[in-house]
Amino acid sequence: MARILQTPAGALGTALVALVAIAALFAPWIAPYDPDQLAVLDRFAGLSPAHWLGTDQLGRDLLSRLLHGATVAMAVSASAIAIALVAGTLLGVAAAALGGWGERAILVLFDIVAAFPSLVLALAVVAVFGPGNGHLVGIVAITLVPQFGRVARAQVLTLQSLPFLEAERILGASPWRILRYHLLPNIAGPLIVLASMEVPSVITIEAGLSFIGLGVRPPLASWGTLIYDGYSYLSDSTLPVLVSSLALALATLGFTLFGEALRDAADPRAR
Amino acid sequence: MTPPTPARDDDKIVTMLQVRDLRLVAHTARGPAHILRGVDLDLDRGRILGLVGESGSGKSSLALALLRLLPANVMPPTGQVLLDGVDLLALPAAAMAERRGRAIAMVFQDPMAALNPLFTIGTQLTAALRRSAPASSRRDALAKSGDALARVGIADPVQRLRAYPHELSGGMRQRVMIAMALLARPDLLLADEPTTALDATIEAQVIDLLRGLRTSLAGGVLFISHHLGLVAELCDDVAVLYAGVVMERGPVAALIAAPRHPYTAALLSCEVRPGQSGPLTTIPGEVPDPLATPEGCLFAPRCPMAEDRCRRETQALRPVGAPGQAAACWKSV
Amino acid sequence: MTGLGVRFLLGRLLQTVLVVLGAMALLFALTVIVPGDPAAALLGPQASPQYAKQFVAEMGLDQPIPVRFVRFFGHVLTGDLGTDVVSGRKVSAAISAVLPYTVTLTAAAIGLAVLLGVPLGCWAATRPGSWVDNILAGISVALIAIPSFVVAILLLLVFSVWLDWLPVLGTGRGDGVGEAARRLVLPAVALAVGWIGFIARLVRTAMLEVLAEPYIRTARAYGLPSLDIVFKYALRNAAIPPLAILGLGIGRLLGGAVLVEIVFGRPGLGRLVLDAINVRNYPVLQGAVLVVVLLFVAANLLVDILYSAIDPRIRRG
Repeated sequence: MARILQTPAGALGTALVALVAIAALFAPWIAPYDPDQLAVLDRFAGLSPAHWLGTDQLGRDLLSRLLHGATVAMAVSASAIAIALVAGTLLGVAAAALGGWGERAILVLFDIVAAFPSLVLALAVVAVFGPGNGHLVGIVAITLVPQFGRVARAQVLTLQSLPFLEAERILGASPWRILRYHLLPNIAGPLIVLASMEVPSVITIEAGLSFIGLGVRPPLASWGTLIYDGYSYLSDSTLPVLVSSLALALATLGFTLFGEALRDAADPRAR
Repeated sequence: MTPPTPARDDDKIVTMLQVRDLRLVAHTARGPAHILRGVDLDLDRGRILGLVGESGSGKSSLALALLRLLPANVMPPTGQVLLDGVDLLALPAAAMAERRGRAIAMVFQDPMAALNPLFTIGTQLTAALRRSAPASSRRDALAKSGDALARVGIADPVQRLRAYPHELSGGMRQRVMIAMALLARPDLLLADEPTTALDATIEAQVIDLLRGLRTSLAGGVLFISHHLGLVAELCDDVAVLYAGVVMERGPVAALIAAPRHPYTAALLSCEVRPGQSGPLTTIPGEVPDPLATPEGCLFAPRCPMAEDRCRRETQALRPVGAPGQAAACWKSV
Repeated sequence: MTGLGVRFLLGRLLQTVLVVLGAMALLFALTVIVPGDPAAALLGPQASPQYAKQFVAEMGLDQPIPVRFVRFFGHVLTGDLGTDVVSGRKVSAAISAVLPYTVTLTAAAIGLAVLLGVPLGCWAATRPGSWVDNILAGISVALIAIPSFVVAILLLLVFSVWLDWLPVLGTGRGDGVGEAARRLVLPAVALAVGWIGFIARLVRTAMLEVLAEPYIRTARAYGLPSLDIVFKYALRNAAIPPLAILGLGIGRLLGGAVLVEIVFGRPGLGRLVLDAINVRNYPVLQGAVLVVVLLFVAANLLVDILYSAIDPRIRRG
């Protein structure tokens, strides 16, 4: 952790991530207003002590909406990545363990999913199943599975050649035991780094989908929704689109910097 | 230190390469590292000079210093390097670049790494050839390159020109490097451990090749190796390098028969002879730390004959033994 | 000698075909899984019951799934991507009408990214550690992290709303090439901006590694001109890692193109897909997604071909 903070990029990334995390976790308490509270007479207010970041087209306080947007972004990322991590790891380990046709089948499955640009796949699935918060998380998770799966498989393959696994097998350890106590701790590292590096992509896809109206459902508002609102009313005020874009940009930047710093810190070669 | 001899003699430059007090220092995190601490060498046209040293003696750096192709953390070498009377170290960069691939050519240690994997042998050879014959057409250049390949004993040269480095064996790749050097028709050919990366049998073939090419080489060869036995087979003269200083030099036969420096004697005793049994001889101790600047003879800590005087004063090379032989030891055996 | 490595390419081609088939299967599966009555889902709530029945019979929706799959396959192979349930046009016609815009945008973005990124990267490689190098590093990370549609909106804001320099929406089709080009600028830049820095960094890193390689030292030892060494030789060696990553990034680029088109109101697959989703025009959606996948896969294949053209060692495997 200390190593991450050593570089200016890492420190900046960590600061931004912390900011977003705090916003996400404590939004209901630190937001000055209810994000859905309408005050149509006060629409498009500029920066003011009453509304630090102004208001949107329905007079809702932007700061509050942005803070809750952080919650949405983090919730979606955390759940999607968690699901993809578990599913991907299981599939990857299975692939490595099965070998032969089983492995090949799983890899082809990965390739097929990977052949769809994430956003496009998400669009297709959303179109079929209809928008919905659960659907959103599910689709995003699916688009991530191939990467987690490949990394997990690669890790297991490297480990498989190590004698200690052979020893465990000879001693009669059950596959579950081997998985839990021996494999997982060793492959966890790269997977966690990958997970942190995927956060910006997830935030981006979620924002992109929300931007075109296929992301989170009202009353939940993600940054993507806010950007769309601001974009639609550009002629009335440029402030909403600016602040929501900035929020999204800072969050993705922060997580990207943090993820890269984490990867560099975890890399034994860099030491 | 022997002052440089007059550049010309009988209208012909005999001592083609004269190195005087060549020093090389590198910047490291822990301070300046002394790679070469004042090297003197002479190489005559038509002769092969072997430079022998263990790892860390600075021999490869010496070759790169002659070419002035040192890595960024190494300071520019000091001293004199006279090639046909011109001090290479004093030349402006462009003039030096002019000489690379023409007056001086080098054969590197690892031929796989030294050839660009993405280009054919023909492309790389013709690029080298164009240095000495810039106006030749592509067909001409390829033809000459094919000839060079044939001269170094590569069968089916025309096919080989179209091949890529990874398609050739190690021995063939090294022959290609030698062909490349031949195409440059250099005055000075630097061969940096050209056989170290090869199998013993292939090594023997390449040494044979080099021996056979002597007549084609109009200039002189500096053959760098860690293997004294190899140098004895191929070279006319030899210089023994230790910790960045030449400890002994002279005609190879004389030196091998009657070494005048304890280090040379020690190296010889380490050579494994056929039929030898019993434990191998080693030289106790380690090569001095390049960061250190000890007083006295650099070999003293490991020398079986060292005395107090050795540890206090250094001894410059002085003639001793056979004609042309010189050793840097006041106790010349 | 295997020329361009026929065996390697055939292998890749086979893999590609398998993946495309799989993708088609996935897309087909999606439409089959559509919850509820298939006809209602496909036709939407507007259709009358008789029409729906007729539609079902015509489309063979009452057939068992395997049969439908085979029919679907057959249709796609002959280029028939179905019929737009809203307009009645052939889907392939609808797609080919807008495809050129998307392709132009994506190609322009890639072109821009490469044309600016590669020289920038080469230049940074010749001056490692300089302030230019560090600034480039900083900016490139920042830019690649920000989603392209956000960049698009910001560019829109700055150049069209505040400065009024460049026209904003639409493609200017019919107003001549010049106008079309002007309207291509902002969207292409929005898509490319993150990639310019990214490619520059990739090229820089690869170049620095390559320039330290022994074979470059050989070139220098033979006195080859510096310019030749960098641009004729080292660049080719250094192109390999960026190519690989570019191949992977095309997916993101395509996804980004879809959104950027929407932001700038350009016709293209983005608009098509969005409209299709909103009215539940599944055939169009299916066809468009399939085309995007084909584009992506084709682009990757192209990258692989470039790869094997550059690196002879790949052709072996």
